[in-house]
Amino acid sequence: MRNPILVGERIYLRPLETDDAEIMARGSALEPDVMMDGMRIPLSPVTMEHWVRDLHERQPPATIFLAVCLIEDDRFIGSVGLMGIDYVNRTAETGSWIDDAEFRSRGYGTEAKMLLLEYAFDRLHLHALVSHVWELNTRSSAALAKQGYHPAGRLKWDELKDGVYHDILLFDVLRDEWLTARERWRQEYASVRPES
Amino acid sequence: MRISYLSGERVALRSPVLADKDQAAAWFDGVFPIDAGRAEAWLKEELKEFTYRKILLIAVRGDGEEVIGGVVVRSNRRHADVAIHMAPWLPDADDLRGEIVGLLVRWLRDESEHITTTAHFAEDWPATIAAAEAAGMIQMARIRQWYARPGGRADQLIYQALRPFWSEAEAGDA
Repeated sequence: MRNPILVGERIYLRPLETDDAEIMARGSALEPDVMMDGMRIPLSPVTMEHWVRDLHERQPPATIFLAVCLIEDDRFIGSVGLMGIDYVNRTAETGSWIDDAEFRSRGYGTEAKMLLLEYAFDRLHLHALVSHVWELNTRSSAALAKQGYHPAGRLKWDELKDGVYHDILLFDVLRDEWLTARERWRQEYASVRPES
Repeated sequence: MRISYLSGERVALRSPVLADKDQAAAWFDGVFPIDAGRAEAWLKEELKEFTYRKILLIAVRGDGEEVIGGVVVRSNRRHADVAIHMAPWLPDADDLRGEIVGLLVRWLRDESEHITTTAHFAEDWPATIAAAEAAGMIQMARIRQWYARPGGRADQLIYQALRPFWSEAEAGDA
């Protein structure tokens, strides 16, 4: 493993490096999913390298992104992040992106998010986290429920799809809710994990 | 310089001037101290180009030039998001913030025709919340335990003022 911060069953989280920029740009070029807020944007590796460099400049950081990598071969498959970190109120917004579509809907995103929440609650000692999901992105809403998040409301008419404005859904989570969800998820995962 | 359309009974909003650097604690959004030198550099950087995407305003008492707060409006001409910071020493911050909310809604929703105007309030700001609701804002979300308070936490309430540019029949739930 390369510079791990948190290690799970199949994946680990590590700091983003500038040499991840090329992979992230390639992920944006190959993005098959159109059900996201905003629009698909082809990103330049130059932009991504600049973004990664900026992430590490401000200390303490207001934004933290961590690379999601496979334990078996160190392959970069996506990233998870904390945005708008408020060290006084101890809050932040969370997000996760499995860039490599091959690894979506296979539990990698939830495993990565569980590690991110451990980092947020047990290392940064944040108190409350929020997440925003476009209402058409039902896959992400279902994943958040599995991770312990609760519906908190909506923001109206955020983005257009097929000529109709759709809302952003808000979810929030506290530490004890995440711990309960993680325990449930670990039991479910243990029951389906193949014998090694 | 007083702005005619952003002046209320007790509060007026105006553009920042470099002299505001000496009252930065009143308008700069943060709890950490900011000195005049850093405030001047920040103002010069923020104000070097005209844009509606991020508009800075200084709040003053209506009967004088006393700086009592700052406002940041972020807009893409469809959606506006407002952040209001009040001077930390004000005894009537909640009341004054409420009046600012009324001015902003009138300007952003009614005059500028943003389809949504969004603001974030703490649940323990009753005068602000009452003023927002009086201006037609609707509570859209409650984020639990978002703000730290001495000995506890307070929820964050997200309010929106809505102005659809399509007919209600077309919008369904609009």
